[in-house]
Amino acid sequence: MVEISHNIEIHNLSTWFGSKKILRDITCYFRDNSVTAIMGPSGCGKSTLLRTLNRLNDLVPSFRREGVVLFRGQDIYKPGSSVYELRKRIGMVFQKPNPFPMSVRDNIMYGPKLHGVKDDNELDKIVEDSLKRAALWDEVKDELDQPAPNLSGGQQQRLCIARALSVDPPVLLMDEPVSSLDPLSAGKIEELIVELKKDYTIILVTHNVQQAFRVSDEAAFLYLGELVEFNSTKKIAVAPQDERTEAFITGRIG
Amino acid sequence: MSDSSETPNVAEASGEAQEGIDTGSPLAGFANRLLKPLRDFVKADTPGRIDKAGKAALILPTMASTLIIILILGFLWYEATPIFLDPSGGPGIIVSPTWDPNRNLYGIAIFIVGSFLCTGIAIGIAVPLGVSGAIFLSEFCPMRLRTLIKMIMEMMAAIPSIVYGLWAYVVMVPYIRNVMAPELQSNLLTSWMPWFQGSTNGLSLLAGGLILAIMLLPTVVTITSDALLTVPRTLREASLALGATQSETARKIVLSAALPGVGAAIVLSLGRAVGETMAILMVTGNSLQIPYTLFDTTYVMTSIITNQLGYAFVFPLWRSALFAVALILLIISICFTVVAKLFIRWGMKTRGYI
Repeated sequence: MVEISHNIEIHNLSTWFGSKKILRDITCYFRDNSVTAIMGPSGCGKSTLLRTLNRLNDLVPSFRREGVVLFRGQDIYKPGSSVYELRKRIGMVFQKPNPFPMSVRDNIMYGPKLHGVKDDNELDKIVEDSLKRAALWDEVKDELDQPAPNLSGGQQQRLCIARALSVDPPVLLMDEPVSSLDPLSAGKIEELIVELKKDYTIILVTHNVQQAFRVSDEAAFLYLGELVEFNSTKKIAVAPQDERTEAFITGRIG
Repeated sequence: MSDSSETPNVAEASGEAQEGIDTGSPLAGFANRLLKPLRDFVKADTPGRIDKAGKAALILPTMASTLIIILILGFLWYEATPIFLDPSGGPGIIVSPTWDPNRNLYGIAIFIVGSFLCTGIAIGIAVPLGVSGAIFLSEFCPMRLRTLIKMIMEMMAAIPSIVYGLWAYVVMVPYIRNVMAPELQSNLLTSWMPWFQGSTNGLSLLAGGLILAIMLLPTVVTITSDALLTVPRTLREASLALGATQSETARKIVLSAALPGVGAAIVLSLGRAVGETMAILMVTGNSLQIPYTLFDTTYVMTSIITNQLGYAFVFPLWRSALFAVALILLIISICFTVVAKLFIRWGMKTRGYI
């Protein structure tokens, strides 16, 4: 597997919240320009794994970690490495749409402005580009100054994707991005994910097996904090190696 | 009183509508709306009747609290009318600066200016300080320390204003006289500033503004930090995930999202500041002049009423002038509230909360 280029690699990662061990000795990689699905039942550590990749877990005082996470060959937990620079390079989309309570335009401009983009023309271009990439431009181009929370749930989630894309990160983390949406909006976002993988490395957490099969190229199955199986999605769908994986994808556990 | 739509029995209600007087004239329509609940009441079974009676009974306390405000406003208006109609008074008293009941001069501009200045200073100090403190409490403070500090703040908010006044009188006023004024007037940086000029015995506009600010602080801090804490965690995470620092997130996302709540905190403190009497009365010196520097004495609206009501009662015009002060005070605080409500509404609209 070493010959494949990848932005993110994990080596022997274990994490704890207080004395509770969440992830157990995980080693895997996420291939560029593809969608890697992390699936598993609730509470298996999927979200923790995702939040370890952009160091969002650092906010939890009881969080502890062992092992190495490499982003483009650099250890992201190395003392002195900038967490802000890292989070700029690794975008995140959350489970529930969480647009900022401000206008659609301001939502998109928030990130670029943080990182020093001041020119109005450039900002306008970023707004348009990001919204187009998130397949939202046509729906909201006439109401850029409306408050974002007035959009529908699906539009809000696509806005959040556009917001994540606004700082142009090579990697996009998605934490069950469609689980709170209606099927129609969910379908749109799944299409969008497949579309986005041309330009981004996408890591998608989901507990929905069918969804993982529909959109992902590689899949990891996490069970009780353990990486049970990691393979191309096709192989996992057709012939899972581990009986726990089979139990999960056939619906016997989860 | 339009609880007529909440009839428990739908079929009965629709039957009722056909039965009712339906001539189309507005008067008949109005009568119908008044009578319908009554007819529904008669037709309902026992639980339904109890329900309706209970709902109707709740109108009383609502009306009572609203009515009291209106009655007070009307009463003030009634009492203040003589001075506005008298040739020696008239609406001009609002801008006239001379208050001399012996010569029948009842200009109340001094008090309006004094109140505005005191309130302005207090808000100017309490809001930035309180909001910063609230940001620390909600964003960066460990849970236990926050609980402790909030408990102390809530206790501070409950201290009677006379206690604040006493403290200010024996501690702050001498401090202003002996330390602050000489210091500010002698050092090179501030000695030239016009608002620091003049000799003082400590009783001053500054003392009034400061003690008000201290009294407002707990309210501002607790309400603001409560508002900040209601901002969902996912908004903070979204900001952090874009590479923002925690302080950028606190400033640009949390504070902005909670701005309507912060506005509410400011409204409450404005109302309290303008209406505060006891502590202000004790430390502002109460002399009839418009203050030109922070160390000048001043006279606020609430103080003049408290100080002179006893003497004024047998002089109709004097008494009426004091009621005019009260009326204007009430109108000012209503204006504050309305403006602030409009601001909060605008804030909620632009944020998509409503």
